[in-house]
Amino acid sequence: MRKSIFGLLLILSMVAIACGGGLEGEEVLMFGAPATDGPDGKAIQASFDAFEEETGIIVTYVGSENFESEVQAQMEAGNPPDIALWPQPGAVRDAAERGFLIPMADLDVDMDAYRTNFSSYLVGLGEVDGVAYGGAHAVNLKSIVWYQPAEFEKRGYAIPATWDEMIALADQILAEGMTPFCFGMYSNGATGWLATDWMEDIMLRTGEGTASYDQWVNHDIPFNDPIVKNAATLLSQIMHTDGYVVGGTDAIVSTFFGNAQDPMFERDANGNPGCFMHRQASFIPGFWPEEAKEGLGTETTSFPFPAIESGLPPAALGAGDMWGVFNDRDATKAVVEYMLSPDYFTAIATNVNDAGSTRISAHTGFDTSLYWSPVVQAQAAVLSDALAANSFRFDGSDNMPPAVGAGSFWVEMTELAVNGPSYIDTALDNIENSWP
Amino acid sequence: MENNLKNRLFSTGIRIIAFALFPLIWFMTQAILFRELSKTADRWLLITLAILVGSSFIFILYLGMNKLISYAPNQYQEALFGAMFVGPAIFLLSLFLFYPAIRTIYLSFFDNRGENFIGFENYRWSITDPSMLITIRNQIFWLVGVVLLVILFGLVVAYLSDRLKRGEAFFKSIIFMPMAISAVGSSAMYKFIYEYRPPPLTQIGLINGLRVSRGFADDGSKCGNNTFTDNGEKIGYTSDGCEVPVGWLQQRDLQNFPLFENLDPGNTFLNLLSNLPLNTILLMIIMVWMFTGFAMVVFSAAIKAIPEEIVEAGRIDGASEGRIFLSVVMPYIRSTIIVVATYLTISVLKAFDIVFVTTRGDFESNLLAVKMLDEYFKFLNQGRSAAVAVIIFICVIPIILLNVFRNKAENTI
Repeated sequence: MRKSIFGLLLILSMVAIACGGGLEGEEVLMFGAPATDGPDGKAIQASFDAFEEETGIIVTYVGSENFESEVQAQMEAGNPPDIALWPQPGAVRDAAERGFLIPMADLDVDMDAYRTNFSSYLVGLGEVDGVAYGGAHAVNLKSIVWYQPAEFEKRGYAIPATWDEMIALADQILAEGMTPFCFGMYSNGATGWLATDWMEDIMLRTGEGTASYDQWVNHDIPFNDPIVKNAATLLSQIMHTDGYVVGGTDAIVSTFFGNAQDPMFERDANGNPGCFMHRQASFIPGFWPEEAKEGLGTETTSFPFPAIESGLPPAALGAGDMWGVFNDRDATKAVVEYMLSPDYFTAIATNVNDAGSTRISAHTGFDTSLYWSPVVQAQAAVLSDALAANSFRFDGSDNMPPAVGAGSFWVEMTELAVNGPSYIDTALDNIENSWP
Repeated sequence: MENNLKNRLFSTGIRIIAFALFPLIWFMTQAILFRELSKTADRWLLITLAILVGSSFIFILYLGMNKLISYAPNQYQEALFGAMFVGPAIFLLSLFLFYPAIRTIYLSFFDNRGENFIGFENYRWSITDPSMLITIRNQIFWLVGVVLLVILFGLVVAYLSDRLKRGEAFFKSIIFMPMAISAVGSSAMYKFIYEYRPPPLTQIGLINGLRVSRGFADDGSKCGNNTFTDNGEKIGYTSDGCEVPVGWLQQRDLQNFPLFENLDPGNTFLNLLSNLPLNTILLMIIMVWMFTGFAMVVFSAAIKAIPEEIVEAGRIDGASEGRIFLSVVMPYIRSTIIVVATYLTISVLKAFDIVFVTTRGDFESNLLAVKMLDEYFKFLNQGRSAAVAVIIFICVIPIILLNVFRNKAENTI
């Protein structure tokens, strides 16, 4: 018996001695939230396939719906992927603070070039105590209002350039017996984020613009500051003016955000759409019904969120993902270098495998004419300009402490939607008190 | 005397070698081997080896321990063999159950990252924070409501189906069927039943679909769920007077319903009733629907075990059907009811899937198990999450104790 065990051990140890050299055939695993076989997952993999052809390094992208909890467990267990792609930079900073991530500077990254290419604002989002840990990946645009040009033209409506024009247009639509806005903020476990997005867009265009926005996000001004209160009042004007939103105020919290725009594609007996304007981020076409998706860019397109207070430069609200690196193997370093080059996004932007991803590169040097869809091109141009002009701001609730940004801010905005304008002060006071 | 001491020392030595050193060395060789192998070896080779070596792991472990114990003095061997068979089970239990439990209790006294000791702060939070209070309220609703309703429905169905002359098996399998569907599956199904779409979209939810397609509008036209007449005219439900669809899972009270609008503050009953958490009750229905079949099967078996003579005797003495149920059947199946209630109580305390799939805790519908997860993964607070876990654990303890004592009492009789 004993002999046979030793024999087995000997054989096994001999098998174990086998080594490869160079980076050829090295495997790198990237783990993220977009599903592996979804449009974004497929596009990311296509980009890495091109990289593999060039270098021989095999990069595999794996996506999971429960990415955030899974990666958390993997980090705790000491078994993380090589690279993780987080949907928000806040999680990258959290992982860095807990000592799981390798600083970008230790990965042979030229930090000056990185800052120039991706704007110091974006790089700063992945920094802890001045050390950059996160790599900017893609950005999306939230400051847009979706509409159907044909319906606007037919009735002689003009695209509103200011808040007052938008309200005037809404009143006109209302007077003509129709509903101006689609508005739905139900989202499993995250109900309220749509209203926080509205708040952020309004905050960027009121007070001192980006300056007061940053103070607000960093809690340098209290949450019940008059500037914030003004923003909440403007939002409440949309949510609570009688007849402004589809289905009335009660419907706002019951409507799943992904279905919210569907009334725009419906026609009533008189041929009128269920609503005319829907403020939602650039990813929403993914939720549209199939027929509506085909009309993206022609039947249904978007205009920029209107300016509110005059004298403020145009700003763009957006979100984006960011990756962090868990080891400094040579193969991982090579992948990092590739992801920071404009080449990385070519396959994604040109829709090489027909995946249909609408991701926009965070690289300001990326040629926006490469994007396959005119809608994405337009959004990319806005984002690229905003990044270069430092007027791009990241979704503020993602950068607040989770107890606020994923907690009280969502909850109180939902309460505000339910309870009406008289609740504004209570909502803001409650959020202020919950700030840790 | 001296011999005895020598024997004892010797057996202690054997004990250490057999139960600690040998398993440790054996385990470490395996661990190191596979760790090294997994870096280089081919994936398929690794899988084959893992199955071959891994499955013989326990076999070789017992073989070695057996051999070692056989060297021990005879009078100790029996006890040692006993320990040998219990040992691995206790070891695994402590590794995967006791250790995490103790670690969780320990973490519940620390801050969000488990770094600084903060005493009972997490527990103070768990009984003062409004969202926690709502969660605890819901948990109590579930505990009382689900357990009582499942037992009630289970008993009624079991008792009645027992009386059926034909088709009892068919009838019971229909009731039992939901038990065969996973909790996630049932929740997804009920999510469609409660689904809401903003008007003027077609309601795809069962309840809203029925709701909007009945009645007439104020102008006398029919209301419909976007159906079409023969000449192609669309019948919608957006005209005044038609029923409005309701987001069922978003109704945390009844205040949006006509009966409860403009309540007279003096009417205490209606005022209390208007605060009934509708969505929580709608979610409880899912669990009742799932578990009634289980309760029915267990009760049915218990009812069938009642000797026919006793029931006959009751009948001859002129007892009514209700009397027989209360005085003859009930005492017989009381212990079964307690077992089912115990199982249900623990299931409700662990209930997670239903809320997770349907509302994920929004609109005041959260439960402790989901809250525990949220605190950890959403709010990144280990301490609070651990505290919620400990609260669930504490709630289970009395039920376990109750069962242990009940078993003991029954054994002594």
